[in-house]
Amino acid sequence: MSNFLSVPLLALAAALQVSLAPYISILGGTPDLVLLLVVAWSLNVPLEQGILWAVIGGLCKDLLSAAPLGTSNIGMVLLLSFVSLVRQQLYSVGVFTLVWVIMLGTVMQFGTTLLILFTSGFQPAFGSQLGYNVVFLEISTILLPTIVYNLIGIFPMYWLVRRLQRTSNRPRRLS
Amino acid sequence: MRNFRSSRWVFLGVVLLISFGLITASQLGVLGPLRGIAAAPLNLLTGIFNRIGLALTSGGEGLADLATLQRRNADLEEALARFQSELVELREIASDYTRLSQLLDYTSNTRDQEFIAAEVIALSDPNAPLRTIVINRGGRDGLAVGMPVVTGQGLVGRILNITANASRVLLVSDPSSAISARLQTSRVEGSVIGQAGGDLLMTFIPLDAQVQEGDLVITSGLGGNLPSDIVIGQVTSVRQLEFELFQQAVVRSLNNFDTLEIVLVVTNFQPVDLSVFEQATTGN
Repeated sequence: MSNFLSVPLLALAAALQVSLAPYISILGGTPDLVLLLVVAWSLNVPLEQGILWAVIGGLCKDLLSAAPLGTSNIGMVLLLSFVSLVRQQLYSVGVFTLVWVIMLGTVMQFGTTLLILFTSGFQPAFGSQLGYNVVFLEISTILLPTIVYNLIGIFPMYWLVRRLQRTSNRPRRLS
Repeated sequence: MRNFRSSRWVFLGVVLLISFGLITASQLGVLGPLRGIAAAPLNLLTGIFNRIGLALTSGGEGLADLATLQRRNADLEEALARFQSELVELREIASDYTRLSQLLDYTSNTRDQEFIAAEVIALSDPNAPLRTIVINRGGRDGLAVGMPVVTGQGLVGRILNITANASRVLLVSDPSSAISARLQTSRVEGSVIGQAGGDLLMTFIPLDAQVQEGDLVITSGLGGNLPSDIVIGQVTSVRQLEFELFQQAVVRSLNNFDTLEIVLVVTNFQPVDLSVFEQATTGN
Protein backbone atom coordinates (compact mmCIF):
# COMPACT_ATOMS: atom_id res chain seq x y z
CA MET A 1 0.00 0.00 0.00
CA SER A 2 2.77 2.41 1.04
CA ASN A 3 4.69 1.80 -2.18
CA PHE A 4 1.60 2.51 -4.28
CA LEU A 5 1.17 5.85 -2.49
CA SER A 6 4.70 6.94 -3.36
CA VAL A 7 4.21 7.81 -7.05
CA PRO A 8 1.13 10.11 -6.74
CA LEU A 9 2.34 11.75 -3.51
CA LEU A 10 5.86 12.45 -4.77
CA ALA A 11 4.63 13.59 -8.22
CA LEU A 12 2.24 15.97 -6.47
CA ALA A 13 5.02 17.28 -4.21
CA ALA A 14 7.39 17.81 -7.17
CA ALA A 15 4.72 19.61 -9.23
CA LEU A 16 3.79 21.83 -6.25
CA GLN A 17 7.50 22.52 -5.69
CA VAL A 18 7.98 23.81 -9.23
CA SER A 19 4.70 25.66 -9.74
CA LEU A 20 3.52 27.11 -6.42
CA ALA A 21 6.74 27.35 -4.39
CA PRO A 22 8.14 30.34 -6.38
CA TYR A 23 5.11 32.41 -5.28
CA ILE A 24 5.89 31.89 -1.58
CA SER A 25 9.64 32.33 -2.00
CA ILE A 26 11.24 34.72 0.52
CA LEU A 27 14.95 35.60 0.19
CA GLY A 28 15.37 33.06 -2.62
CA GLY A 29 14.41 29.95 -0.63
CA THR A 30 11.40 27.66 -0.43
CA PRO A 31 10.80 24.35 1.36
CA ASP A 32 12.02 21.32 -0.62
CA LEU A 33 8.72 19.41 -0.51
CA VAL A 34 10.09 16.21 -2.11
CA LEU A 35 12.99 15.99 0.34
CA LEU A 36 10.66 16.71 3.29
CA LEU A 37 8.25 13.98 2.18
CA VAL A 38 11.00 11.40 1.56
CA VAL A 39 12.71 12.09 4.92
CA ALA A 40 9.44 12.13 6.90
CA TRP A 41 8.29 8.88 5.30
CA SER A 42 11.60 7.04 5.57
CA LEU A 43 12.20 7.60 9.29
CA ASN A 44 9.69 4.91 10.28
CA VAL A 45 9.94 2.37 7.45
CA PRO A 46 12.60 -0.19 6.37
CA LEU A 47 15.60 1.19 4.46
CA GLU A 48 14.54 -0.50 1.20
CA GLN A 49 11.17 1.26 1.19
CA GLY A 50 12.82 4.58 2.05
CA ILE A 51 15.25 4.20 -0.85
CA LEU A 52 12.36 3.41 -3.22
CA TRP A 53 10.69 6.68 -2.15
CA ALA A 54 13.99 8.56 -2.59
CA VAL A 55 14.47 7.18 -6.13
CA ILE A 56 10.89 7.99 -7.22
CA GLY A 57 11.05 11.44 -5.58
CA GLY A 58 14.43 12.18 -7.18
CA LEU A 59 13.19 11.13 -10.63
CA CYS A 60 10.07 13.35 -10.29
CA LYS A 61 12.29 16.33 -9.34
CA ASP A 62 14.74 15.72 -12.20
CA LEU A 63 11.95 15.32 -14.76
CA LEU A 64 10.82 18.85 -13.88
CA SER A 65 14.30 20.38 -13.93
CA ALA A 66 17.18 20.67 -16.39
CA ALA A 67 19.36 18.34 -14.29
CA PRO A 68 20.27 14.91 -15.73
CA LEU A 69 17.92 12.11 -14.59
CA GLY A 70 19.19 10.50 -11.38
CA THR A 71 20.94 13.63 -10.02
CA SER A 72 18.57 14.19 -7.09
CA ASN A 73 18.53 10.47 -6.17
CA ILE A 74 22.15 10.34 -5.07
CA GLY A 75 21.97 12.81 -2.15
CA MET A 76 18.73 11.35 -0.76
CA VAL A 77 19.87 7.71 -1.07
CA LEU A 78 23.18 8.48 0.69
CA LEU A 79 21.32 10.37 3.44
CA LEU A 80 18.88 7.51 4.07
CA SER A 81 21.74 4.99 4.23
CA PHE A 82 23.55 7.13 6.80
CA VAL A 83 20.35 7.62 8.80
CA SER A 84 19.72 3.86 8.68
CA LEU A 85 23.16 3.24 10.22
CA VAL A 86 22.63 5.80 12.98
CA ARG A 87 18.99 4.87 13.60
CA GLN A 88 19.97 1.58 15.20
CA GLN A 89 21.29 3.63 18.14
CA LEU A 90 18.03 5.61 18.54
CA TYR A 91 15.10 4.62 20.72
CA SER A 92 12.54 6.76 18.83
CA VAL A 93 12.31 9.66 16.38
CA GLY A 94 12.25 12.96 18.30
CA VAL A 95 12.55 16.66 17.61
CA PHE A 96 16.36 16.55 17.64
CA THR A 97 16.43 13.67 15.13
CA LEU A 98 14.13 15.54 12.74
CA VAL A 99 16.30 18.68 13.00
CA TRP A 100 19.66 17.06 12.26
CA VAL A 101 18.34 14.70 9.59
CA ILE A 102 16.65 17.48 7.60
CA MET A 103 19.66 19.82 7.97
CA LEU A 104 22.06 17.10 6.83
CA GLY A 105 19.66 16.07 4.06
CA THR A 106 19.36 19.60 2.69
CA VAL A 107 23.14 20.07 2.63
CA MET A 108 23.77 16.61 1.07
CA GLN A 109 21.05 17.11 -1.55
CA PHE A 110 22.39 20.57 -2.47
CA GLY A 111 26.05 19.48 -2.45
CA THR A 112 25.61 16.34 -4.56
CA THR A 113 23.34 18.13 -7.05
CA LEU A 114 25.82 21.00 -7.46
CA LEU A 115 28.74 18.56 -7.77
CA ILE A 116 26.99 16.44 -10.41
CA LEU A 117 25.91 19.53 -12.36
CA PHE A 118 29.44 20.96 -12.31
CA THR A 119 30.99 17.66 -13.41
CA SER A 120 28.32 17.36 -16.13
CA GLY A 121 29.46 20.60 -17.74
CA PHE A 122 27.03 23.18 -16.27
CA GLN A 123 29.82 25.47 -15.07
CA PRO A 124 29.85 29.20 -14.32
CA ALA A 125 30.79 31.26 -17.35
CA PHE A 126 34.07 32.96 -16.49
CA GLY A 127 37.10 31.51 -14.73
CA SER A 128 37.61 29.85 -11.41
CA GLN A 129 37.57 33.05 -9.34
CA LEU A 130 34.05 33.91 -10.42
CA GLY A 131 33.15 30.22 -10.13
CA TYR A 132 33.92 30.15 -6.39
CA ASN A 133 32.01 33.41 -6.07
CA VAL A 134 28.96 31.81 -7.70
CA VAL A 135 29.17 28.79 -5.37
CA PHE A 136 29.36 31.11 -2.35
CA LEU A 137 26.35 33.08 -3.64
CA GLU A 138 24.43 29.84 -4.26
CA ILE A 139 25.09 28.82 -0.64
CA SER A 140 24.08 32.17 0.85
CA THR A 141 21.05 32.83 -1.36
CA ILE A 142 19.65 29.31 -1.84
CA LEU A 143 21.04 26.78 0.64
CA LEU A 144 20.71 28.78 3.89
CA PRO A 145 17.09 29.98 3.31
CA THR A 146 16.16 26.44 2.17
CA ILE A 147 17.57 24.96 5.40
CA VAL A 148 15.43 27.39 7.42
CA TYR A 149 12.31 26.57 5.40
CA ASN A 150 12.95 22.82 5.63
CA LEU A 151 13.46 23.07 9.41
CA ILE A 152 10.08 24.76 9.69
CA GLY A 153 8.42 22.42 7.18
CA ILE A 154 9.62 19.06 8.52
CA PHE A 155 7.41 19.16 11.65
CA PRO A 156 3.98 19.53 9.94
CA MET A 157 5.14 17.17 7.16
CA TYR A 158 6.21 14.50 9.70
CA TRP A 159 2.90 14.83 11.55
CA LEU A 160 0.94 14.44 8.28
CA VAL A 161 3.05 11.51 7.11
CA ARG A 162 2.70 9.66 10.46
CA ARG A 163 -1.10 10.00 10.26
CA LEU A 164 -1.02 8.72 6.68
CA GLN A 165 1.25 5.80 7.60
CA ARG A 166 -0.98 4.80 10.51
CA THR A 167 -4.08 4.97 8.28
CA SER A 168 -2.50 3.00 5.44
CA ASN A 169 -1.08 0.33 7.78
CA ARG A 170 -4.31 -0.13 9.81
CA PRO A 171 -5.64 -3.70 9.35
CA ARG A 172 -8.99 -3.79 7.57
CA ARG A 173 -11.89 -5.64 9.17
CA LEU A 174 -13.67 -8.12 6.91
CA SER A 175 -17.45 -7.78 6.92
CA MET B 1 21.88 -11.32 10.27
CA ARG B 2 25.16 -10.62 8.47
CA ASN B 3 23.62 -11.85 5.18
CA PHE B 4 20.65 -9.53 5.72
CA ARG B 5 22.95 -6.55 6.27
CA SER B 6 25.19 -7.39 3.32
CA SER B 7 22.15 -7.80 1.05
CA ARG B 8 21.06 -4.29 2.14
CA TRP B 9 24.40 -2.85 1.06
CA VAL B 10 24.22 -4.72 -2.24
CA PHE B 11 20.75 -3.22 -2.81
CA LEU B 12 22.11 0.24 -1.96
CA GLY B 13 25.06 -0.23 -4.34
CA VAL B 14 22.74 -1.33 -7.15
CA VAL B 15 20.52 1.75 -6.63
CA LEU B 16 23.52 4.10 -6.71
CA LEU B 17 24.89 2.32 -9.79
CA ILE B 18 21.53 2.70 -11.57
CA SER B 19 21.42 6.41 -10.59
CA PHE B 20 24.90 7.05 -12.03
CA GLY B 21 23.90 5.06 -15.11
CA LEU B 22 20.84 7.29 -15.57
CA ILE B 23 22.99 10.41 -15.22
CA THR B 24 25.44 9.14 -17.87
CA ALA B 25 22.61 8.11 -20.19
CA SER B 26 21.00 11.56 -19.75
CA GLN B 27 24.29 13.23 -20.61
CA LEU B 28 24.62 11.11 -23.75
CA GLY B 29 21.05 12.07 -24.76
CA VAL B 30 19.87 8.44 -24.84
CA LEU B 31 16.92 9.16 -22.50
CA GLY B 32 15.60 12.16 -24.47
CA PRO B 33 12.35 10.65 -25.88
CA LEU B 34 11.69 8.60 -22.72
CA ARG B 35 12.15 11.67 -20.55
CA GLY B 36 9.70 13.63 -22.70
CA ILE B 37 7.03 10.93 -22.31
CA ALA B 38 7.60 10.57 -18.54
CA ALA B 39 7.57 14.34 -17.99
CA ALA B 40 4.30 14.89 -19.92
CA PRO B 41 1.89 14.12 -17.00
CA LEU B 42 4.11 16.06 -14.57
CA ASN B 43 4.14 19.06 -16.95
CA LEU B 44 0.34 18.87 -17.17
CA LEU B 45 0.08 18.86 -13.36
CA THR B 46 2.58 21.72 -13.10
CA GLY B 47 0.65 23.76 -15.68
CA ILE B 48 -2.57 23.40 -13.65
CA PHE B 49 -0.85 24.44 -10.38
CA ASN B 50 0.87 27.31 -12.15
CA ARG B 51 -2.47 28.68 -13.38
CA ILE B 52 -3.91 28.35 -9.87
CA GLY B 53 -0.89 30.19 -8.43
CA LEU B 54 -1.18 33.01 -10.96
CA ALA B 55 -4.92 33.36 -10.31
CA LEU B 56 -4.43 33.38 -6.52
CA THR B 57 -1.57 35.90 -6.53
CA SER B 58 -3.23 38.30 -8.99
CA GLY B 59 -6.61 38.07 -7.19
CA GLY B 60 -5.09 38.47 -3.73
CA GLU B 61 -2.98 41.46 -4.68
CA GLY B 62 -5.92 43.18 -6.39
CA LEU B 63 -8.16 42.91 -3.36
CA ALA B 64 -5.44 43.74 -0.86
CA ASP B 65 -4.23 46.93 -2.43
CA LEU B 66 -6.92 48.64 -4.48
CA ALA B 67 -5.61 52.14 -3.76
CA THR B 68 -2.13 51.25 -4.99
CA LEU B 69 -3.63 49.79 -8.16
CA GLN B 70 -5.62 52.96 -8.84
CA ARG B 71 -2.52 55.11 -8.35
CA ARG B 72 -0.51 52.78 -10.54
CA ASN B 73 -3.22 52.88 -13.20
CA ALA B 74 -3.05 56.70 -13.27
CA ASP B 75 0.76 56.56 -13.53
CA LEU B 76 0.54 54.03 -16.35
CA GLU B 77 -2.00 56.14 -18.27
CA GLU B 78 0.32 59.11 -18.00
CA ALA B 79 3.25 57.00 -19.15
CA LEU B 80 1.18 55.62 -22.03
CA ALA B 81 0.37 59.14 -23.27
CA ARG B 82 4.07 60.03 -23.10
CA PHE B 83 5.12 56.85 -24.89
CA GLN B 84 2.51 57.34 -27.60
CA SER B 85 4.01 60.72 -28.50
CA GLU B 86 7.47 59.15 -28.41
CA LEU B 87 6.18 56.33 -30.61
CA VAL B 88 5.08 58.79 -33.31
CA GLU B 89 8.52 60.39 -33.18
CA LEU B 90 10.27 57.01 -33.34
CA ARG B 91 8.11 55.92 -36.29
CA GLU B 92 9.32 58.97 -38.18
CA ILE B 93 12.92 58.03 -37.36
CA ALA B 94 12.21 54.42 -38.36
CA SER B 95 10.85 55.45 -41.77
CA ASP B 96 13.96 57.60 -42.31
CA TYR B 97 16.10 54.63 -41.31
CA THR B 98 14.27 52.33 -43.77
CA ARG B 99 14.88 54.69 -46.65
CA LEU B 100 18.58 55.02 -45.78
CA SER B 101 18.93 51.26 -45.34
CA GLN B 102 17.43 50.63 -48.78
CA LEU B 103 19.90 53.09 -50.25
CA LEU B 104 22.77 51.22 -48.66
CA ASP B 105 21.24 47.85 -49.62
CA TYR B 106 21.38 46.85 -46.01
CA THR B 107 18.71 44.83 -44.25
CA SER B 108 18.47 44.75 -40.52
CA ASN B 109 18.32 41.28 -39.03
CA THR B 110 15.69 42.21 -36.49
CA ARG B 111 13.19 43.17 -39.17
CA ASP B 112 13.31 39.66 -40.57
CA GLN B 113 12.65 37.95 -37.28
CA GLU B 114 9.87 35.36 -37.11
CA PHE B 115 8.25 34.47 -33.82
CA ILE B 116 6.21 31.69 -32.25
CA ALA B 117 4.22 32.56 -29.14
CA ALA B 118 4.41 30.05 -26.29
CA GLU B 119 2.80 29.68 -22.87
CA VAL B 120 4.98 29.24 -19.79
CA ILE B 121 3.93 26.00 -18.06
CA ALA B 122 6.61 25.78 -15.34
CA LEU B 123 8.57 28.53 -13.64
CA SER B 124 12.08 28.36 -12.26
CA ASP B 125 12.43 26.41 -9.00
CA PRO B 126 14.24 28.75 -6.55
CA ASN B 127 15.92 25.71 -4.92
CA ALA B 128 17.46 24.49 -8.17
CA PRO B 129 20.99 25.59 -9.08
CA LEU B 130 19.82 26.18 -12.69
CA ARG B 131 17.27 28.87 -13.48
CA THR B 132 15.00 27.62 -16.23
CA ILE B 133 11.38 27.80 -17.36
CA VAL B 134 9.36 25.33 -19.43
CA ILE B 135 7.20 26.44 -22.40
CA ASN B 136 4.46 24.49 -24.16
CA ARG B 137 6.09 24.46 -27.62
CA GLY B 138 8.70 21.96 -28.75
CA GLY B 139 10.29 20.16 -31.67
CA ARG B 140 6.88 19.54 -33.24
CA ASP B 141 6.45 23.32 -33.59
CA GLY B 142 9.83 23.75 -35.28
CA LEU B 143 11.77 24.89 -32.22
CA ALA B 144 15.46 23.98 -31.83
CA VAL B 145 18.11 24.18 -29.13
CA GLY B 146 19.75 27.62 -28.94
CA MET B 147 16.79 29.66 -30.24
CA PRO B 148 16.39 33.00 -28.41
CA VAL B 149 13.30 33.54 -26.24
CA VAL B 150 12.00 37.10 -25.72
CA THR B 151 9.03 39.13 -24.50
CA GLY B 152 8.00 42.70 -25.25
CA GLN B 153 10.23 43.71 -22.30
CA GLY B 154 13.34 42.05 -23.74
CA LEU B 155 15.45 38.92 -23.66
CA VAL B 156 14.29 35.98 -21.51
CA GLY B 157 16.90 33.35 -22.42
CA ARG B 158 17.81 30.58 -24.83
CA ILE B 159 16.30 27.13 -25.44
CA LEU B 160 18.37 24.58 -23.52
CA ASN B 161 16.63 21.34 -24.47
CA ILE B 162 13.42 20.28 -26.19
CA THR B 163 10.88 17.49 -26.32
CA ALA B 164 8.14 17.04 -28.91
CA ASN B 165 5.69 19.38 -27.22
CA ALA B 166 7.71 21.35 -24.64
CA SER B 167 11.03 23.18 -24.33
CA ARG B 168 13.22 24.18 -21.40
CA VAL B 169 14.60 27.73 -21.53
CA LEU B 170 17.80 28.72 -19.70
CA LEU B 171 17.08 32.19 -18.25
CA VAL B 172 19.56 35.06 -18.71
CA SER B 173 19.63 35.31 -14.91
CA ASP B 174 21.19 31.83 -14.56
CA PRO B 175 24.82 31.95 -13.34
CA SER B 176 25.94 29.78 -16.28
CA SER B 177 24.48 32.26 -18.81
CA ALA B 178 26.87 34.74 -20.47
CA ILE B 179 25.75 37.13 -23.21
CA SER B 180 27.75 39.56 -25.35
CA ALA B 181 26.14 42.95 -24.76
CA ARG B 182 26.54 46.65 -25.41
CA LEU B 183 25.25 49.84 -23.84
CA GLN B 184 22.71 51.41 -26.17
CA THR B 185 23.81 55.04 -25.76
CA SER B 186 27.62 54.80 -25.53
CA ARG B 187 27.93 51.58 -27.70
CA VAL B 188 30.43 50.17 -25.17
CA GLU B 189 30.80 46.37 -25.31
CA GLY B 190 30.74 43.98 -22.35
CA SER B 191 29.37 40.65 -21.15
CA VAL B 192 26.20 40.16 -19.14
CA ILE B 193 26.25 37.20 -16.76
CA GLY B 194 23.55 35.89 -14.45
CA GLN B 195 23.85 36.14 -10.69
CA ALA B 196 22.74 33.65 -8.05
CA GLY B 197 20.39 36.27 -6.58
CA GLY B 198 18.55 36.72 -9.90
CA ASP B 199 20.17 40.01 -10.95
CA LEU B 200 22.44 40.47 -13.96
CA LEU B 201 26.00 41.79 -13.98
CA MET B 202 27.62 43.48 -16.97
CA THR B 203 31.39 42.92 -16.83
CA PHE B 204 34.43 43.74 -18.96
CA ILE B 205 33.38 47.39 -19.41
CA PRO B 206 36.50 49.53 -20.06
CA LEU B 207 37.39 51.87 -17.17
CA ASP B 208 37.20 54.98 -19.36
CA ALA B 209 33.67 54.19 -20.63
CA GLN B 210 30.81 56.39 -19.45
CA VAL B 211 28.16 54.23 -17.81
CA GLN B 212 25.13 55.82 -16.19
CA GLU B 213 22.21 54.49 -14.20
CA GLY B 214 19.25 53.96 -16.48
CA ASP B 215 21.34 53.10 -19.57
CA LEU B 216 19.72 50.38 -21.67
CA VAL B 217 21.77 47.20 -22.21
CA ILE B 218 21.17 45.35 -25.50
CA THR B 219 22.62 42.24 -27.15
CA SER B 220 25.61 42.95 -29.40
CA GLY B 221 25.34 39.83 -31.56
CA LEU B 222 29.05 39.10 -31.04
CA GLY B 223 29.79 35.38 -30.74
CA GLY B 224 26.88 34.44 -33.00
CA ASN B 225 24.70 33.01 -30.22
CA LEU B 226 22.02 35.72 -30.28
CA PRO B 227 20.73 38.34 -32.72
CA SER B 228 21.81 41.92 -32.02
CA ASP B 229 19.76 44.77 -30.49
CA ILE B 230 17.49 42.77 -28.16
CA VAL B 231 16.98 44.61 -24.87
CA ILE B 232 18.53 42.76 -21.91
CA GLY B 233 17.82 45.27 -19.14
CA GLN B 234 18.65 48.59 -17.56
CA VAL B 235 21.72 49.63 -15.55
CA THR B 236 20.79 50.17 -11.89
CA SER B 237 24.25 50.80 -10.41
CA VAL B 238 27.89 50.99 -11.49
CA ARG B 239 30.94 49.58 -9.66
CA GLN B 240 34.30 51.15 -10.45
CA LEU B 241 37.23 50.01 -8.33
CA GLU B 242 40.71 51.55 -8.81
CA PHE B 243 42.56 48.24 -8.62
CA GLU B 244 40.43 46.46 -11.23
CA LEU B 245 41.01 46.46 -14.99
CA PHE B 246 37.33 46.81 -15.86
CA GLN B 247 34.25 48.34 -14.34
CA GLN B 248 31.01 46.45 -13.70
CA ALA B 249 27.37 47.44 -13.88
CA VAL B 250 24.44 45.80 -12.13
CA VAL B 251 21.67 45.33 -14.69
CA ARG B 252 18.02 44.68 -13.95
CA SER B 253 15.99 42.85 -16.56
CA LEU B 254 12.68 44.49 -17.44
CA ASN B 255 11.14 41.01 -17.31
CA ASN B 256 9.90 39.56 -14.03
CA PHE B 257 10.99 35.92 -14.44
CA ASP B 258 8.73 34.74 -11.59
CA THR B 259 5.51 35.84 -13.32
CA LEU B 260 6.15 35.09 -17.00
CA GLU B 261 3.05 33.85 -18.80
CA ILE B 262 3.59 34.25 -22.54
CA VAL B 263 6.94 34.41 -24.36
CA LEU B 264 8.04 34.63 -27.99
CA VAL B 265 10.59 32.28 -29.57
CA VAL B 266 12.66 33.69 -32.44
CA THR B 267 12.42 30.79 -34.88
CA ASN B 268 14.48 31.98 -37.84
CA PHE B 269 17.70 32.70 -35.95
CA GLN B 270 20.40 30.05 -36.32
CA PRO B 271 23.21 30.25 -33.71
CA VAL B 272 26.69 30.29 -35.31
CA ASP B 273 29.35 27.95 -33.91
CA LEU B 274 32.54 30.07 -33.94
CA SER B 275 34.59 27.34 -32.24
CA VAL B 276 35.26 25.91 -35.75
CA PHE B 277 37.46 28.95 -36.52
CA GLU B 278 39.26 28.63 -33.17
CA GLN B 279 40.05 24.97 -33.94
CA ALA B 280 41.26 25.92 -37.42
CA THR B 281 43.58 28.58 -35.94
CA THR B 282 44.92 26.12 -33.35
CA GLY B 283 45.46 23.52 -36.07
CA ASN B 284 47.55 25.95 -38.11
